[in-house]
Amino acid sequence: MIGRRFGLALIGVVGVAWILGAEWVSISHGVTENHFIDALGGLAFLIGGLIAMDRRPGNVIGPLMLGVAFVPYLGNFGNVQVTPLPLLGVISGQVAAPMLAHIALAYPTGKLRSGLDRAVVATIYGAATAVNLVIILVFDPRAGGCGRCVREWAVFPNRSVFDGVLSAYQRIGFVLALAFLVAVALRWRRATPAERRDLTPLWIAVSIIAVVYLLQAFASPFVDDPFAYLLWELQGVAQIGLPAVFVWGLLSSRLARSAVGDLVVALQQPLRPGELRAPLARTLGDPSLELLYPLDGQDRWVDADGRAAPLADGLASVTIVQRDGQTLAALKHDPGLDPELVRAAAAAAGMSIENERLHAEVRAQLEEVRQSRRRIVEAGDRERRRIERNLHDGAQQRLAALALSLAMLRDGGRADAATAASLAEAGDQLRQAIGELRELARGIHPAILTEEGLTAAVESLVDRSALTVLVKADLDDRLPEPVEAVAYFVVAESLTNVARYAGTCQVRVELARQNGSLRVEVADDGVGGADPSRGSGLRGLDDRVAAVHGRFLVETPDGGGTRVLAEIPCDG
Amino acid sequence: MPCSVLIVDDHPEFRAQARALLVAAGYHVVGEAADGESGVRVARDSRPDVLLLDVQLPDINGFEVARRLRDEPEPPLIVLISSRDAADYGSRVRRSGAAGFIAKAELSARSLEFVLRGSR
Repeated sequence: MIGRRFGLALIGVVGVAWILGAEWVSISHGVTENHFIDALGGLAFLIGGLIAMDRRPGNVIGPLMLGVAFVPYLGNFGNVQVTPLPLLGVISGQVAAPMLAHIALAYPTGKLRSGLDRAVVATIYGAATAVNLVIILVFDPRAGGCGRCVREWAVFPNRSVFDGVLSAYQRIGFVLALAFLVAVALRWRRATPAERRDLTPLWIAVSIIAVVYLLQAFASPFVDDPFAYLLWELQGVAQIGLPAVFVWGLLSSRLARSAVGDLVVALQQPLRPGELRAPLARTLGDPSLELLYPLDGQDRWVDADGRAAPLADGLASVTIVQRDGQTLAALKHDPGLDPELVRAAAAAAGMSIENERLHAEVRAQLEEVRQSRRRIVEAGDRERRRIERNLHDGAQQRLAALALSLAMLRDGGRADAATAASLAEAGDQLRQAIGELRELARGIHPAILTEEGLTAAVESLVDRSALTVLVKADLDDRLPEPVEAVAYFVVAESLTNVARYAGTCQVRVELARQNGSLRVEVADDGVGGADPSRGSGLRGLDDRVAAVHGRFLVETPDGGGTRVLAEIPCDG
Repeated sequence: MPCSVLIVDDHPEFRAQARALLVAAGYHVVGEAADGESGVRVARDSRPDVLLLDVQLPDINGFEVARRLRDEPEPPLIVLISSRDAADYGSRVRRSGAAGFIAKAELSARSLEFVLRGSR
């Protein structure tokens, strides 16, 4: 580490000397340009490149920035008439553009992510290389009539070819700049909100540089042209933006890390389950953040309330939080977030994550128990319907046929009086048995509930009751079978209790649909004082209503009547 | 002319008993059907005076059969029968347009005559 930092410091010292020395050479040779902006641009890339190499050693951004800091200044030294400095000076003019494009499209990861980005950068490098190869072959300032210039290594010295190549490169630069702007636009469109927030200043700066290159297609390739000079200065100012954006990104990262410290302080206050997501999302600046917890050894993932949630959806990045080899949670977040920052925030919230994971596990188990109870109740209802149907198709049919046979024997005229009387008596007993069997079947599952729905079933129940019941039903459509079944038995059991214990005959039954739930109310003006904990009937209703995620309430003050209320969700 | 009756019920034993009871009471049984669709077809073909119609049938139920025959030029008088009580079907019995309802265990010449007399 110390050796690397020493090396970087040495590069920095050399770089400063290089840049300032280059500007001094330009000044001493009477070159007309804005030396301050020129030097500032180089120093900005030098500082940015050194920081990048220190903070992200494996990232190509650092070396590219140093390349932009050093190489273009060969142009300044090209004023010194020592072979091959003039040639290197000319060549260096084509090097900055590819490196700037590479930095812009690879920032901040150092990798070119899309095929278009790779194609654009490769083409720009290729064009610059091709032009420089031609320049090496044809560039000789003495061949152009410069008597005091040194001879270069040109194999085919030709001034007009040299001028033509530079002009052609400017024209090609127009197309390449357009392609680059398209690549930047597509990156902006693909970017996540966090990436746009962090990288828009960079993309604005490089877009300005690209527009300058576009305009340079219409200017002279030589800086002594006023328009070309103006564009050159504008390019120099815009180029300072790139390292400035990089340093700003590092500062933002540092600020974000300090927010992790604030998170630690905030989490010292106890949180209710489900409240951990908000402070983590604020710290990371990602409102889309989701916290998921593993069940069954990571076969399933749930949120803080124990509800199932998918881990991967192809859009968000996932950071797994582990402690001592155990997976505690997964953070689903914006892919543009700094992975180190995400891990730091997760580490700061370690204890809170563990607590919320335990809560999520309990909630998930509770939900499984609820679902299991619901399935048991629904299976019971199906079995009731089946038994009622079997009674109807089996025993009731046979007894009805037997009653018919007895009636035919009785009415056939062949029996003597005593036999006819016995047959009549047998017929009466049989009809009584049929009635009792019918009542038993209704108690198991009333066919009218399936045939006509809850309102008709309750009205039929009330018709057979000895009580005076006022029914107010406000239901337009049929409800799901489990809901109707539970509601019916709430009314049936409540009316039975009124008949047995309330000491009154006046009862009110109300059925209404409110806010996605069925509201069932049975109220009497009897003696009250019912004890739900002592009677199995009311306890059974409580369990049945709870099994379908409903709410069951009994209000029964002494002497104040009894009110049974059930609210049963109808939707899903 | 004896009153003609078509029996529609999916239990063959009941159909046989009902036929014997009706014949003994002087009715003319013109046919039998074991399900709703064939009951509608036979009723349209044979044009009985009375249709003794079970509610619970394997395909369409007795209420649907009654609805389809309601618009016939001379629809039969429909007497619904079932092992269940009329109260188990609520207002559907009334809305079906049937002349009446007789529980199977209560079926007799007398009860049938009572229902038919009440409908005339």
